[in-house]
Amino acid sequence: MNRFFLNSNLLWLVCCAGLLVAMVKPAHAQPTAEQKPLRVALTGKFPPFNYYNKQGELAGFDVDVANAIGKRIGRDIEFVATEWDGILAGLLGGKFDTIIGSMAITPVRAMQVNFSKPYYHSGAQLFVHRDNPAQVYSINECDGLKVAAVLGETYQQYLDQNYPSIEVVTLKSSVEIFELLQQQRVTGFVTDRLVGSWQIKQADRPFVPVGGMLYSEDIGIPVRKDDTKLLEQINTALDQIKSDGTMKKIHQKYFGLSATVSGTGKTSMSDAVIAKKLIKGFAVTIAIAVASLAIGFVLAIPCGVILNKPKGSMVILYWPVRTIVDFLRGTPVLIQLLFAWMGLGLSPFTAAIGTLGINAMAYMAEVIRSGLMSVDQGQVLAAKALAMNRMQTFRYVVWPQAFRVAIPPLMNCVVALTKDTALVAVISVSEVIREAQAIISVTFEPTKYYFIVAVMFFIVTFPLMKFASMLERRIAQRGYSRD
Amino acid sequence: MIEIRDLIYTYPNADEPALKQLSVQFPRENVFAVLGQSGSGKTTLLNCIARFLTPTSGSIHIDDKNIADMTALEFRHTLGVVFQRLNLFPHLSVLRNLTLAPEKVFGTSLSDARKQAREMLERLGIGDLADRYPAQISGGQAQRVAIARGLMLQPSYMLLDEPTSALDAQTTQDFAAWLTELSSETSFIIVTHDLPFAEMVASHGVYLSQGEIQATGNVADILQQVQQPTS
Repeated sequence: MNRFFLNSNLLWLVCCAGLLVAMVKPAHAQPTAEQKPLRVALTGKFPPFNYYNKQGELAGFDVDVANAIGKRIGRDIEFVATEWDGILAGLLGGKFDTIIGSMAITPVRAMQVNFSKPYYHSGAQLFVHRDNPAQVYSINECDGLKVAAVLGETYQQYLDQNYPSIEVVTLKSSVEIFELLQQQRVTGFVTDRLVGSWQIKQADRPFVPVGGMLYSEDIGIPVRKDDTKLLEQINTALDQIKSDGTMKKIHQKYFGLSATVSGTGKTSMSDAVIAKKLIKGFAVTIAIAVASLAIGFVLAIPCGVILNKPKGSMVILYWPVRTIVDFLRGTPVLIQLLFAWMGLGLSPFTAAIGTLGINAMAYMAEVIRSGLMSVDQGQVLAAKALAMNRMQTFRYVVWPQAFRVAIPPLMNCVVALTKDTALVAVISVSEVIREAQAIISVTFEPTKYYFIVAVMFFIVTFPLMKFASMLERRIAQRGYSRD
Repeated sequence: MIEIRDLIYTYPNADEPALKQLSVQFPRENVFAVLGQSGSGKTTLLNCIARFLTPTSGSIHIDDKNIADMTALEFRHTLGVVFQRLNLFPHLSVLRNLTLAPEKVFGTSLSDARKQAREMLERLGIGDLADRYPAQISGGQAQRVAIARGLMLQPSYMLLDEPTSALDAQTTQDFAAWLTELSSETSFIIVTHDLPFAEMVASHGVYLSQGEIQATGNVADILQQVQQPTS
């Protein structure tokens, strides 16, 4: 459960309270060491293994296993909820006797403590929709298909490294992954076998695991090196629990399936991979920005004209356009993106370009409207006096003047929209921010990579801003503002 | 000849008409003056003649043709307008101000339009302004450019709205002389409250007051008539 390292003062309090109880109780009862409750540490933050249920009580697979062990060795269990950081130090320091909290057996940990036999195995597992339209029965059959993973978990990177031909779609949480798979917009997803199974059960989704685990981890119960007697007791108890069917029952209660298979997979990211990811991501960012701006600008011209309340037939379009523009400007782009993606079922890329495009339209339409407003009505009369029709008047007289006025604020829109592309990471478009997050989830160097991304944006936006002020100067030099 | 028949114009939401059944004839002269104080209705009349406003009732005929029946191109060939604020196109050079309509509206080739425009500017004594922008020339120069732009369409009549409002005394005199010279080829109708200027350039005119014709005829006589009650 090395993915979970949240801090909580409350848990510290619970932990301290637990310790207090542990210290005070023996003074009254004076029991022998054997009769004393077995102090078992866990975080209470790792559902379904250990967590606080609706009643605020500790529950979960680990909790049930701990209670079953306590029963076999004839000792009460006293749970100590503590932070994952320093949980081993707490064990070594004697704050509790053992940890039954889904700790993976690793060589590094095994140097400090003794582990029991594994009490369960888990690892990376591919899940697909029960209908399985792609007829995929293992991760090896996913070449060229979309497989989802939660951003920041090691599975995404594991897939990238080991299955480069799979198109990995990363999302913020399993909630979004489930939605995508429900709509069959991804072939499947990879997550921890047991956690995934539990989440599927909780969310009541028609998803099933296929193929073996991509790699597995053995989960054991650590005790202090000198506590050999307890280790022996726990191992014996585990054997009993397994042979008498208790373990199977507990397993069924939470997962409804069992896990086997062994293997390991640890990965890291080379500089070349990082650079490639960032450049690829930034290319996507620029592509989205350019496409959205093009759409936005083309749509903004007629909308700006309509918003300027022209005489004639276009007047009936005023309120519809006004409402759309106000709505787009008055609601968060993030919500619009999620709506386009989840609600309208558009592909992430289409949703991103579409949403940012019409957003650019809304803002640019206002800019264009104010540009048009700035053109003196006398100009229109002068054009009329020269026999120009409305289209000629707009094209040769009004628009060139309005556009010049609109250039600086339009450039602001361009810069703002370029920055807004950062939001599309949320809907799993692999643009530069998302790539950076993926890199950071492995390298743990947020400062470095976020700074690099900021610089990449600045390299693009800075010339745009300079270009805008150059245009402004050119217009001023012509003495434009004096007329 | 411009003939105005029973012209009534009432602004939307206004109680009283701005022009009260006006009937008057502007004979084709070198310069004809439409005079009157502010609010007399002369700008409304100009806007009706220039087809910027549609009369509430009545009609306007230029050389016996009802202007309401003319096509836009035909009408703009008949009557040119120079606005009080000139309304030169600030984003275009002086030359382009002159060539835009001939090229885009009347289909003259750009090279022909340029040639004509340069000739026009030379003829009006402002040939050196061709490549300047409106913001880079003086008020008097802009006035001439605006007239040149109107003349590019070769209208029979040119309507000038308050041509002296932005000019100082000396420039006004220069302009009067220049206009007199030019008016041998085109008929100008000047709409102005600047009576001394009108006297300098026009022999005949009408005097408008509160939407009605108060006097017609010789400009000098009109001035005497309208000035007598106040003196």
